Parts: sequence; C-alpha cells; structure tokens
Amino acid sequence: MVFTEELVDVLADKLLIGLTREENKMVLEEFESIDSDNKKVCEIDNIENVEPMTHCLDDFVYELRDDEYKGDNEDIDDLLSNCDDYIDTEIKVPKVVK
Amino acid sequence: MEYMSKGIKEIHDDLKSGKVTSEELVNESLKKAHKVQDKCNAFVTIIDDAKGVDVTDSLLSGIPCGIKDNYSTKGILSTGSSNTLKDYIPFFDATAITNLKNNGAVIIGKCTMDEFGMGGTGTTAHTGVQKNPWDLSRMCAGSSSGSAASVASGVYPYATGSDTGDSIRKPAAYCGIVGYKPTYGMISRYGLFAFASSLDHLGCLTRSVEDAAIVVDAMKGIDKKDMTSWDSSNIHLYESLSSDVKGKKLCYIKEICDPGNYPDASEETKQHLDNFYKTIELCKKIGMEVSEVSIDKKLLDALGSVYNIISCAEATSNMSNLTGIIFGPRVNADNYEDMMKKYRTEGFSSLIKRRFIIGSYVLQAQNKDRYFNNAQRVRRLLVDAWKDLYKEYDAVILPVGSGPAKYLDDSKNKKFTNSNILEEHLQIGNFGGFPSITIPNGFINNLPVGVNITGNCYDDINVLNIAYALESEMNYKGQIAKEVK
Repeated sequence: MVFTEELVDVLADKLLIGLTREENKMVLEEFESIDSDNKKVCEIDNIENVEPMTHCLDDFVYELRDDEYKGDNEDIDDLLSNCDDYIDTEIKVPKVVK
Repeated sequence: MEYMSKGIKEIHDDLKSGKVTSEELVNESLKKAHKVQDKCNAFVTIIDDAKGVDVTDSLLSGIPCGIKDNYSTKGILSTGSSNTLKDYIPFFDATAITNLKNNGAVIIGKCTMDEFGMGGTGTTAHTGVQKNPWDLSRMCAGSSSGSAASVASGVYPYATGSDTGDSIRKPAAYCGIVGYKPTYGMISRYGLFAFASSLDHLGCLTRSVEDAAIVVDAMKGIDKKDMTSWDSSNIHLYESLSSDVKGKKLCYIKEICDPGNYPDASEETKQHLDNFYKTIELCKKIGMEVSEVSIDKKLLDALGSVYNIISCAEATSNMSNLTGIIFGPRVNADNYEDMMKKYRTEGFSSLIKRRFIIGSYVLQAQNKDRYFNNAQRVRRLLVDAWKDLYKEYDAVILPVGSGPAKYLDDSKNKKFTNSNILEEHLQIGNFGGFPSITIPNGFINNLPVGVNITGNCYDDINVLNIAYALESEMNYKGQIAKEVK
C-alpha cells in the first residue's frame, strides 16, 4: 500500500479532524511503520486459519439482558449542567437539515 | 505524625482507636497534594472542600484516595485529561467509585493521565507534563501517571488506575510502588471513559500488595450495567493473602529476559535485567520453582503492532461520540459538521488524532482482514501461548520495561535493538484479561525498577500471594519518593 498525504487528509476528513502538515507527516510515518510491522504478522504460519480473538474472556458466557432501561431518576438540572446551550429543559442543537 | 505514608490497615486501626480522625487525614492529604502538584503536576483537580466521613468497619472508611481522571465522578470535573472534556462534570459515578464510596473512601483529587489513556509517558495531559517524584527530569510513564506519582509521594495510600496496555503496571514500576489490574471484568467498567473496550481494565496503585488487595476487594463486583463483569463474591483477596508459596511454579520468557537479546542495551537496561535475575534467585530461595521457557519470537515481535491496531481501532469507534454537541465545550461554526470538526481539531492532541486515523484506516472494509482481523488472530495465538504456560506454571514473572523511568527529554534516552519487546510485553496481560501485578524490586541510579507477575484468568489470589511473598523478602514495601518527602 502506498500512503500519501492526500490519503491521510481524506481519512482525517471523514473523522471530522483537521490536520496540520506536520501532523499529516507524522501519520504517514506511523502508517509506514505499522505496514512494515503488519508484514511480519502476515508471515506467521497459518495465520489465516486462526479464529480472530475479539475479546479477552472469549470463553465467557454472556447473559443477554432484558431490553429495558430503568433510569436512576437523575435530576434534570444535573443532566443539563454539561450542556452549553438550552432553554428551560430543552437542549438547543445545531440545525442538521439543510 | 504523618499518616498518609502508612498502609491502609494501620491507618484504619488508628482511626478506629481514635488516635486520628478522618478530617485530620483529609487535611494532611490535601496539604501534601498541593505540595506534589507544585513539583510533579499530578492532579487535574484537588478537591479542597473534601470532608472526612464516619469511620466504619470497612478498612477504607475515612481514608483519602485519588481517582484517575477517566473515572466518572458525580459532581466532580472528569476530563480524561483532554481539552475536549475540559469542563465535563458527570451526573453519575462509575460503579467502581460507587463501591469505593460505599466503603467510606474519601476522594481528595482527580489524577492526571495521558489523554484518554492513550499514551505511555504521562506527558500528554491537557494540564501539562507530569514529572516523576523520584527524579523530576524523568517521566512517570502512563497513562496512570498522576495516580502513580501521588501514591509514591505519600499523598494517600492508594489511587485508582486503568490499564489498557500497561497503564497501571508500568507507572507503578517507574514510581517504585505496586500496580495491580485484576482479571478482566472483576471490576465493572461502567463509568470508565472507554478507550479500547476489549482491553480496558480497572485497578489500583498502592504501596503494598496488602493495600492492593484491600482496594480491589472494595472496587470489584458484578454489575448489571457492565455485562462483561462477573460475580467475584466468593473471592476475598485481602483475607486470602498468604506468603506460603513453597512449591509454586513460575516461569520467565527467554526471548524477553535474556540480556544476549540486547547487545547494545544501555547500562541501565543491563543492570535492570541483572536485578531481575537476582529476583528470580530470591523466588527460588523462598521455595518457588522457576524455569526459563521459550515463546515463538515471531509472535513476540508482532506484539506492538497487534496492540496498536486493536487499540486504535476500538478507540476510534468508542470516541466517535466526542462531537462537542452532547457534551464537552461547544464551539461556534456555521453548521453542525463544521462545529464538530472545529471541536475535534482544536480539542484533540496530535497523538489522539493520529491514533484515530490509524484506527479508522484499519477498520475500512478493504483493510480490515489484513490489519484488524490479523491482529486479533495474533492476539489469540499469544493468549493461547500464555494459557499453555499456565497449564504447567502458576504465573509468569518478567521485568517491567527496559529499566528505570525514562528521561522526559527523549534525546537522553538510549535506543537499542529489540527494546520494544521489553517495553511492550505487559500488553499480553490485556490481550488475555490476565490478573497482573507489578511490585518494586530494586533501584538503578537511585531510581526504582519493577518486576511483574501475571497469572491465569480468575487466579488473582495466586498472583497476589506470589507478589505478597516476594514483597516480604525485599525492602521496598511502603517506600515514599525522595523528591517530595
């Protein structure tokens, strides 16, 4: 894979992150390092036949919970305390529909 | 008399007998916290109006503690050491915090950390660089840097930490204290800011194995709000402590520990490895059998890459909620996309941005199998290799890092061949969810170094007992960093 400044900018843009030229260069360097390291991973014998491990206790039996939420009766003022923009108990959000 | 440099049990006994009050402990702790803050920058928040509480039979009641700033604490600023959450005040407590409070713990500060736990230096907090209390020109490691520095300085006997790669266990080593992360899911993750959910562990930093057992006993428990938590009510870590380890079988990995692997290593690394082998002899002296074993070097060489790919991918996904709209400081812009972009661009440090971009790339459909799935495949091979060891051995014992704390000025740190394997091997404890503890095992250039003991899942008592026995044979229990004495 050839990594370019343009590719890095496209990836950053999709994440809604802006990068300086210096940051872009640092990402490029890291990509090259990760790609080089990943080649070692791909060379491990029969790697393609190993089941990916998605979780550290993957022999754990999970019990699905009922699909319900019982709130802890949080105080509305506490909930609003982190909101920068609201009227009474309604939060102002930016317009999404253009 | 200074109480905050004592162990939890001793403080508790003095509280119960009336020799000291909780209020007096809080005052002493706050005074020390400000002193440490001036020198080391260990706190995001010092809670100057913290109050003493009634003392009960709970060993933690009335005793001050510190909380890593990625734990949600109701009504107390919780930033994750990030500009993106610099004004965030949670309306709920993390379950581990609720459990500590129910045991009478008194929170006196929120400790600095690498931003969102994504760093191993203690230098990326939005409040500035964290310095090591043993030597202010050195780092604490991370990400639980403030927790480690404050406990090592005697602000209180314990602080909470979180550990996704080695974020409790390496700062503990660099600061000469104990760092313990129990088996994955023993402590609920509810209310901890998620970094990489399949690797995130909660735990504590203390100055003794006994204190670590007491603190995790109080933090743990099954939680309906974290479906990966499990019932540990039959596990009593403190009550189970025993230094009788005769006949226990340990092993260490040749490919990690053999000085011959590092021909151009620094003098500090050589001394660190030499000191490790002295600890191995000590293990034998107290009746444990210790063997050298081998692990496929190809797997070990892939370790860092596997960790980077999995952790970056999970972090990118977990932190997509950081938009600056639902919480975090809102910024002004013409539309919602520009608002979010401005917030994320100005709020995240370079390190976080890079990690998100890498995480996003390895999760793209055309890249996922080559990078992300392959990383998860190697993760399984490494965990299986360790589980094979646990069929024969009670625990794996290994040196922590490549020596004592590194310099903050990176140009002074010597780079050498294969150093990554020494720096990164603790990540295997996260891959497998294994209980893992670091204890101090010596000094190099007047700086502490540590040794790590890691066992099989759910075998926490065994791991703690090995550490407890070893600790009692050395002279580093309860030590306080010299810079802030």
